[in-house]
Amino acid sequence: MSLFSAISVGASGMAAQRARAELLVENLANAETTRTPEGGPYRRKDAVFESSTVSSPFASVFSSQLESMGGVAVSGVVTDMSEPERRYLPGHPDADKDGYVAFPKVNTAEDMVDLMGAARSYGANVSAISAVKDMIQRSLDLGR
Amino acid sequence: MVGPILPISGVSLPQAIRPAGQTGGGGFQDVLSSAIQNVEAVGQNASASVERFLAGEGEELHTTILATQQAELSLDLFLQARNKVVSAYQEIMRMQM
Amino acid sequence: MLQPVAGQLERYMDLLSARQKLVASNVANADTPGYHTQDIDFQSEFLKATGGPPRVTEVGDLPMKNDGNNVSLDREARLLAENALRFQVASQLMKSQIRSVRSAIQEGKS
Repeated sequence: MSLFSAISVGASGMAAQRARAELLVENLANAETTRTPEGGPYRRKDAVFESSTVSSPFASVFSSQLESMGGVAVSGVVTDMSEPERRYLPGHPDADKDGYVAFPKVNTAEDMVDLMGAARSYGANVSAISAVKDMIQRSLDLGR
Repeated sequence: MVGPILPISGVSLPQAIRPAGQTGGGGFQDVLSSAIQNVEAVGQNASASVERFLAGEGEELHTTILATQQAELSLDLFLQARNKVVSAYQEIMRMQM
Repeated sequence: MLQPVAGQLERYMDLLSARQKLVASNVANADTPGYHTQDIDFQSEFLKATGGPPRVTEVGDLPMKNDGNNVSLDREARLLAENALRFQVASQLMKSQIRSVRSAIQEGKS
């Protein structure tokens, strides 16, 4: 696994964190959404991360899997299927016959903190790529 | 009173100067061929490194660059030495006998 | 002809590259459940007489989060900078080595 693959690894980290951030933003935007096309209130979504191999168009077909491990990928999105939060609001257009409205179970504060975490991790991946690029550049300079 | 003119005897050629290397079995020739082999080996190493790098087999860039630098320097040194030998030879050949 | 100091420097750069790759992996997996921080034992790998790829180990005594992940972005950020700087130093030293040899060869020209 040469330094070039470390760039792919960083890129996979950026992609994963971005996907995570997008889901968090969706959660935050829909924190009060009581009506969705599928019926019922918005249900919270989470990205599931998993270690993965990184492939590069330049990598040899023979390079071992072990060597290309180190990346990350979003292996799936988990939707919160638990019972939604019910609040008593009889006048609400989405109230049921008992006057209760089903609200999304989104913990706004928690998701905001997670979003900051995703941003920080995204930045860390950018820094990693930058540092690796610098090392590659210096290797090239040896030939000057 | 002068004597009779004697016949001119043939001029005998001087003994061929033997190169030092041939008598000893070592010496300059061996040094030269081992130097050539070394330059070739270093060159091969560099080519192999470049191939591995381009094929994406995980060769580090700095390894390849260093190998090519080494090859370059080896060849450079060899050429300089060869040039010196050649110019020394030419100088000797220019000497009037 | 660049040995032996150059040989040492090249090994140093090899190990720094390997270490930096692991830092990149750790950073990418900073939020992966169950992922453990990876590293190499730089000192002992450098002192090893035989070359070859270094052994990857898991780093102990790092605080573990609820999901089994123990990556510390602070630690990785520090290592990222340190590896990059050391690589800079090594490549500079290597460059001047090469330059010296080249000069010596050129000097012989006259």
